[in-house]
Amino acid sequence: MDLAYFRVLASRLRMRARFWGVRGSIAVPGPTTNRYGGNTSCVEIAADGMAPIIIDAGTGIRRLGQALAGGAFGSGRGVAHLLISHTHWDHIQGLPFFAPLYTRGNRLHVYARRRDTHLRAVFASQTESPYFPVPLDEMRADVTFHELGDRQQFAIGPAEVRCTRLNHPWIALAYRVELDGRAVVYASDTAPFRDILFEHEFIGQPPEPSAPLDPAKAAALAEMRRALVELCRGAALLIYDTQFTREEYRQKPHWGHSTPDDAIAIAREAEVGALVLYHHAPDRTDDQQDAIVRECRAALAGDRLALYAAREGLELTVGDGGVVASGEAEA
Amino acid sequence: MKVRFWGVRGAIPAPGPETNRYGGNTSCVSVTGARGQLLILDMGTGVVGLGKQLMTGEMGRGRGRAAVLLSHAHWDHIQGFPFFPPVFVAGNQFELHGNAHSSDMLEGILEGQMNPHFSPIYTLRNLGAAISFTAALPGAVHDFEGIRVSARPNPHGHTSALAYRLEEDGSSLVYASDAGYPPEGPSREILDLYAGADLLIHDSTYTPADRATRLERGNSSYAEAAAAAASAGARHLALFHYDQDYGDDTVDEMTRACRAELDRRGGRDIRLTAAAEGLEIDV
Repeated sequence: MDLAYFRVLASRLRMRARFWGVRGSIAVPGPTTNRYGGNTSCVEIAADGMAPIIIDAGTGIRRLGQALAGGAFGSGRGVAHLLISHTHWDHIQGLPFFAPLYTRGNRLHVYARRRDTHLRAVFASQTESPYFPVPLDEMRADVTFHELGDRQQFAIGPAEVRCTRLNHPWIALAYRVELDGRAVVYASDTAPFRDILFEHEFIGQPPEPSAPLDPAKAAALAEMRRALVELCRGAALLIYDTQFTREEYRQKPHWGHSTPDDAIAIAREAEVGALVLYHHAPDRTDDQQDAIVRECRAALAGDRLALYAAREGLELTVGDGGVVASGEAEA
Repeated sequence: MKVRFWGVRGAIPAPGPETNRYGGNTSCVSVTGARGQLLILDMGTGVVGLGKQLMTGEMGRGRGRAAVLLSHAHWDHIQGFPFFPPVFVAGNQFELHGNAHSSDMLEGILEGQMNPHFSPIYTLRNLGAAISFTAALPGAVHDFEGIRVSARPNPHGHTSALAYRLEEDGSSLVYASDAGYPPEGPSREILDLYAGADLLIHDSTYTPADRATRLERGNSSYAEAAAAAASAGARHLALFHYDQDYGDDTVDEMTRACRAELDRRGGRDIRLTAAAEGLEIDV
């Protein structure tokens, strides 16, 4: 046996994805969401020796901040990177409640898609009077904004990050975080790539079911989808917006969200290891979510694709043996 | 008047098993008058539940009317607005009153919430319902279908929050969320607004110990709520707007301690209730 071979294997870093908020649209406290959780979107990606990479800052980021404050962030020596899919409320509303922002010395790097307004101004308006008592500029941590294009590649410490745009009102980004040859992809929020091309126009009504799609738009959607599949290619873990059931999508295709069918199709094409249903509808009870998971698992019986439903406290470790779930009891 | 609590939390929604009994939704209270008139006090996430219930009635058919009284525009008091189903139904009518220097400014504050960077609604003009905006002037009395509404500002950190008094047929209730009194306590004008209220819904964000370390946030402790109720001669005090980190057991303890505080201050006859989602009180 070549021992060096095993040393190389052992040195490959394990990546952990932990879910702090799994809900779309609005936080939904109450007994019917206790198991999956009622906080809006927030996922933490961690690996030994790497600054935490946080994706989205929904209300779930409050608890993450409290957990981080127990470590280097409590004494103003923390560094974190926050990737923002887009700036709709359910993806940023927890940020003013992220405890590390209030400790001098901490550094937060915020990455989001470039807009017509500078990112700092967009985020600053969230905490300006009369909406919030503490303006961004008075928060003690050092916050740096990084503006991204629709397709970009950059490094965060030892991790390589890539993004591509999604099909959502005012446009969202999907992110791939790759470390030591293992990748986690976060794709939320997005509609499927067939009925509507979302840009910056308000779409108030669903399209006529029989209306043919403009060929230029159809081509743009096909290209967007191709780039997303490429981003997901071979990822160990794909976290995907599955807010809608099939029937809900039929009623609200103009809201910019997908179904589990759409997510499974992308996951199979990209040959990912495991798919995580994510960004659950606010009205979805725990029991209804259980039923969705059962239906998906039945449809995937015998498939190599593993399937999880995101819930608060769930931690998925990407290591040599594939994806392993830990955290609170399996829902 | 019938009062119902839909959200009793401050700052940010606090989902989880530890808030199941009192609820994790942010501030929203509905008041229904003797003739079915509807007033909505603040539009935190609790207003979503209210909206779903309203959609089963006139609001679902585009024939609903309501007045919305906003204490102030911090997120926890307006964040449910874009998710309140009745505002998407053409025909419904809302008159929205709030804390601003002008009615245009109040509209601008809520327009900012719908900005396309933040919301898929893009602008208030995409809401189907008819909404009017009125800056609530301190001291002025407004009549909403037989319910008399008056307001006074309380200090709230660097800003102010309006407390509202509602009166109908000799009954009165006061909603005083987000009150950060100076050390000497509430002002004369505020105590006049609270005076003799049949129900005083009062900011009780903190324990006295936590209040002492967070003075700049401008929220009350349960002890200050008890003091205000006793000074104003309120008949019934409802604790409201709990800190997002307080679980149900902490609220239980605060309620017990508040009872002792009321008794100590000569308020033995004042009823005490800890507001909880779904709780109804007849005034």
